[in-house]
Amino acid sequence: MFSDIFAFTYEIPYLLTLLLIIPLVGAIATLAMGGKRQKNAKYVAGVFSFVTMVLSVILMFTPDLSVYSESYTWIETAGVKMSYILSVDGLSILMVFLTGVLVFLSTVFSARESDKPHYFFALILAMEVGLMGVYMAGDYFLFYIMWEVTLIPMYFLISWFGGPRRHYAAIKFFIYTHVASVVMLIGIFAIVFGAATGGIADFSFEAVLAGSAAFGSTFQVLVFGLLFFGFAVKMPIVPFHTWLPDAHTEAPTAGSVLLAGVMLKMGSYGIIRVCLEVLPEGAQYWQPIMVFIGILAMIYGAYACIAQKDLKKMVAFSSISHMGMVMIAMACLSDIGIQFAIFQMFAHGLISAVLFMVAGATGHSVGTREIPLLGGLAGKLPLLAAFMMFGFLASLGLPGLVGFWAEFGIIFGFYDYAVSVDMLWLVIFCLLSLLLTAGYYLWAMQRTMFGRLTTKIDLSHIHDLSRPEVIALGAVCALIALFGLWPDLALSYLEGYSSSLALTLGVI
Amino acid sequence: MFVEYTWLVPLVPLLCFVIVGFFGKKMPHGGGPLVIFGALFAFVLSLLISYDFFTSDAYHNPGYVTSQIEWFSVGSFQMNVGYYIDSLACMMMLFASFISTLIFVYSIGYMHDEGAKRRRYFAQVSLFLTGMLGLAVSSNFLEMFVFWEIMGLCSYLLIGFWGFNHPKGDDASDSASSAAKKAFLVTRLGDVCLMGGMFVLLFEFGSLDYVTVFDTSMMAAVDPNMIMLGSLLIFGGVIGKSAQFPLLDWLPDAMAGPTTVSALIHAATMVKAGVYLVARCFPLFTQNPEVMLFVGVIGGITAFFAATMALNNMNIKKVLAYSTLSQLGYMFLALGAGGYMMALGMQSGDAALMAAGAIGYTAGCLHMVNHAFFKALLFLGSGSVIHATGTEDMREMGGLHSKMKITSITMLIGSLSIAGFPLFSGFWSKEIVLETAMHAGDYGVEGYLFTIMWILAIVTAFMTAFYMFRMWFMTFKGKSGHGAEHCHGESPKSMTIPLIILSVFAAALGCILLFGFDDYITIGIHAGHFQVGSGHGHGLAGWLEDIFLSMYTYLTIALVLIAIAVAYVMYNKASVNPGKFNKNGSSWLYKALTNRWWFPQLYDQIGWKLGNGVAKGVEFVDTQMIDGTVNALSSAVVGSGESLGKMQTGNVRDYAAIVMIGVVLLFVAILALFYFMGGL
Amino acid sequence: MIPIEVYLIFAAVLFAIGAYGVVVKNNTIVVLMCIELMLNAANINFIVFSAFTTDVLGQVFVIMSISVAAAEVAVGIAILLNAYKIKGTIEADGLASMRW
Repeated sequence: MFSDIFAFTYEIPYLLTLLLIIPLVGAIATLAMGGKRQKNAKYVAGVFSFVTMVLSVILMFTPDLSVYSESYTWIETAGVKMSYILSVDGLSILMVFLTGVLVFLSTVFSARESDKPHYFFALILAMEVGLMGVYMAGDYFLFYIMWEVTLIPMYFLISWFGGPRRHYAAIKFFIYTHVASVVMLIGIFAIVFGAATGGIADFSFEAVLAGSAAFGSTFQVLVFGLLFFGFAVKMPIVPFHTWLPDAHTEAPTAGSVLLAGVMLKMGSYGIIRVCLEVLPEGAQYWQPIMVFIGILAMIYGAYACIAQKDLKKMVAFSSISHMGMVMIAMACLSDIGIQFAIFQMFAHGLISAVLFMVAGATGHSVGTREIPLLGGLAGKLPLLAAFMMFGFLASLGLPGLVGFWAEFGIIFGFYDYAVSVDMLWLVIFCLLSLLLTAGYYLWAMQRTMFGRLTTKIDLSHIHDLSRPEVIALGAVCALIALFGLWPDLALSYLEGYSSSLALTLGVI
Repeated sequence: MFVEYTWLVPLVPLLCFVIVGFFGKKMPHGGGPLVIFGALFAFVLSLLISYDFFTSDAYHNPGYVTSQIEWFSVGSFQMNVGYYIDSLACMMMLFASFISTLIFVYSIGYMHDEGAKRRRYFAQVSLFLTGMLGLAVSSNFLEMFVFWEIMGLCSYLLIGFWGFNHPKGDDASDSASSAAKKAFLVTRLGDVCLMGGMFVLLFEFGSLDYVTVFDTSMMAAVDPNMIMLGSLLIFGGVIGKSAQFPLLDWLPDAMAGPTTVSALIHAATMVKAGVYLVARCFPLFTQNPEVMLFVGVIGGITAFFAATMALNNMNIKKVLAYSTLSQLGYMFLALGAGGYMMALGMQSGDAALMAAGAIGYTAGCLHMVNHAFFKALLFLGSGSVIHATGTEDMREMGGLHSKMKITSITMLIGSLSIAGFPLFSGFWSKEIVLETAMHAGDYGVEGYLFTIMWILAIVTAFMTAFYMFRMWFMTFKGKSGHGAEHCHGESPKSMTIPLIILSVFAAALGCILLFGFDDYITIGIHAGHFQVGSGHGHGLAGWLEDIFLSMYTYLTIALVLIAIAVAYVMYNKASVNPGKFNKNGSSWLYKALTNRWWFPQLYDQIGWKLGNGVAKGVEFVDTQMIDGTVNALSSAVVGSGESLGKMQTGNVRDYAAIVMIGVVLLFVAILALFYFMGGL
Repeated sequence: MIPIEVYLIFAAVLFAIGAYGVVVKNNTIVVLMCIELMLNAANINFIVFSAFTTDVLGQVFVIMSISVAAAEVAVGIAILLNAYKIKGTIEADGLASMRW
């Protein structure tokens, strides 16, 4: 834990609300930087996102997270009660930290954005509001609102700042995730009204959890299905994943970083927070299906990567494959499984940030991301090549970097599960996906950076990474190495949460 | 106590890596001297640690010193980081750091013309050394695996060192980057198995610490089938890393890297890690004789196959690469045969059989150390030749003896040693390896397999002597080739001095180790647990008796001498044309050998089909079926909307008319409703 | 005294003329005028009912309605002016961009 190194005991009043307000104010302030003041937009956005990041880091250094919970009644009528509740626990703290860090770094990374930068940075900050809200919300109504809030800035980021097929991608992204969240909303209503006591449907997590004991098995199984679908499309799961590669390919780099780094985690966060916490019996019933879906996503994603021609699309499919790992880890319904599912979410957040930054940088440095057109660029772009190598190695699970520990824990948790259901051969799929991952990354590396220098494109204008890009990439890589050498720094936040959740699930 | 500072052994090279990696551009020789210092520091510290350890009580009981702290925990399982020092670890540290130091010194001269690339080179070799030293001192499987993978990474980076901007052009870049990828992927296949093995062990033993896993009472409590599964999976990792049959194909390709890297991979690090792991897991593997049988058979087959492929290769580095594979096969054969006897002895409680098995362990480890020295020597020597002639093709060399005396003589010593010429290092260890294999053939139901392996090993010894001297004669004797004319004399001192030092070791070390230090490289069960070292070696008389009273020793000596003679008449005097035996390169056997028994094609086919073939199918499903459905659905919605949209003319008056008609109709409808429902 | 039906029929005729004009006239100024006719038809109804029921509220409403109508005309004319600037015409047929 960070607080073992240095305990930050001063209690900042309304810290969690500040985490929402500061990016919101920042978004408005940045929006005002139109016209002639465009040049300053990045500095304004940088300052606000930096402050948010500092606050989220302070949160990491706080020994007792429970001091920061805020609860106010928001809407109270005869039948329903919705509150403004913010709190952080072992599950959400890492995600809040990740959001704070990645938003700031993606702001730094896109410092050269020159086309309507005030809109661009305002959208990023607006997204931070939603993301922070989702991870800190303690009330289903607030959770849902924040969930939808993330959607809108992302839509505009893609459709205003994206690539050539941006409108198609943006609409596909919006429809997919929106349909899923409507299904999720039905599920949320089901659990909230199902858990209502004394005629008042209280939307707070606490009240629903307390009332969840009364849920019947059939109810649990059905509602689990609804909620699971809603969250899993966001993760995403095969075969509802096709929005992701398109969205990533068209989105601007900062958008891709946030989309893969933090937004996909909303799906798995929701599954753990809502499905597993509230509906343990449903989870038991759905366990084999989750395992199947996870393995499918892992293998399917990895194979799809091999066939991709666009570097960014390949990275997008690798996200699908890695989120499949999160899925099988959650499906173990065990202490280790949940702990490492969360850890993998965190690890993949950091690693995919590097990957998308690198893929995006290849796009603007070289002018194309088409792998067949590239080759031998390491000599001309040494910094980019080094970061690409680092990102690829981290993603394929090199020990000593954060991704390995996540994969190690997940596969061990899954081994445990496989032994318990007497199907040890299932582990082979996990190991196969590790092998395939190494395969597609190294093959891509060989074709883009190594080998003969390409003659298919004009190389007279290519340039290596700019200073802000190096700073952003370097910072994420440093975090990857830090948490890789010292995984306990992040893992210790999760221990308490995962073991208590495993108790609820009845499997240890 | 220097043992307490063991963590500095891998850490100092690691720091050198970091410093050189970031600041190497501004340092002299691209940071080379600092890296040499790091390696030298590691060597000196290893010496002190070893001295410290061997003179302490812990050497005799319990035979190791270990210390670890908690790293993190997986559920209720605690993962530690720390060191575990026993004779085996000391031995690995010593020879890895010593040989690496020499190779780094040599690199200063060899890489002199590389300019700014030297920073990358020296940083990476330093990390490579970190990997090997860390592996040697690790206290548990997980920590070991971390260093194991770091070595895999470094081999990838260094084999692909010329993966771009190759001095010889684009084709060489292509092949270097492809070789690097192949090396990483094939070893990755093994690593994935090893990881599986670790899961089995962690699940069954509840810990990955060597102390816990190798505890005899723990092993007795665990289901032997699971131990077998774990052992086989771990050995899968070894097969990948040490390039054993059937994953042996990456190592010859790995010659695309600089020659010094080949020396590092083949002598001091990387492939030795596999042998080390088998030696380390000896207690675990001996729980099942079948596992050890498998180890031995794989070793024997590899030894034979690799040697055949070296017979007609024209590339000096590839010949050496095949010889590495072949010698590694010997090591596994020795460990397997010894372990097999040990396992049988443990099952039947036969102490004599166990002692016989322990000789296999000694043989395997001894051969590993000897091989490290003579293979480093040979690679560095070949590097010196390549540096001077600018070619790797032996047909373009020849007659270099007069121009490069030091290289020539040191290479000759190396060749004699690897060929097993009497009294050179390689001779001693190879004789014990062969003896163990033969001995193991007498025991157990499947023992006959070891007899077959022994025959293969003898044939291999013949082939080894032949191809090594073929290489030496073709390079240094005979007619001067095209490349030899470029040669302007001996290489610089930074290259020749390491050669001379190595040649001394390559000549004499085997003898010294066997007769002076054999106590330190034994294994046995003392007080209920396995202990490396502090056992009773065979003693001087024992070894002499073993080696010189066996008629098979004279058989191998005879075969080696015949092989050298054959090479001499074919390639030095050229009185016999080698083309006579292979129909001038058109016989199928010759083609099979040049095509490496078609292994590469086979792997490429399998890899391509399983990788790209399936990927194409997945891509089809993704873009055509899934996305096709999605797009069809959306165009159905958009299409129906469009046809309904035709009603919108956009003309205000039409809208107004429709509104009015609507109002009138609504009014009429309401009136009708009231009328029929009973009036206002 | 004139019976209430006369006023109502008068208002209805006025409304029908307005509605007819909105539907058939191409000139949007005329359309706007016709809308005013329809509005005033409604105002007449208000006044008539107010007078016949002696409830003054109806007349109050008319005052308000007239003021709203004035504002509405202003807005309408402004829209038309802008439409003329952009499209160069105020013919209803030319302002058909609201189509799908």
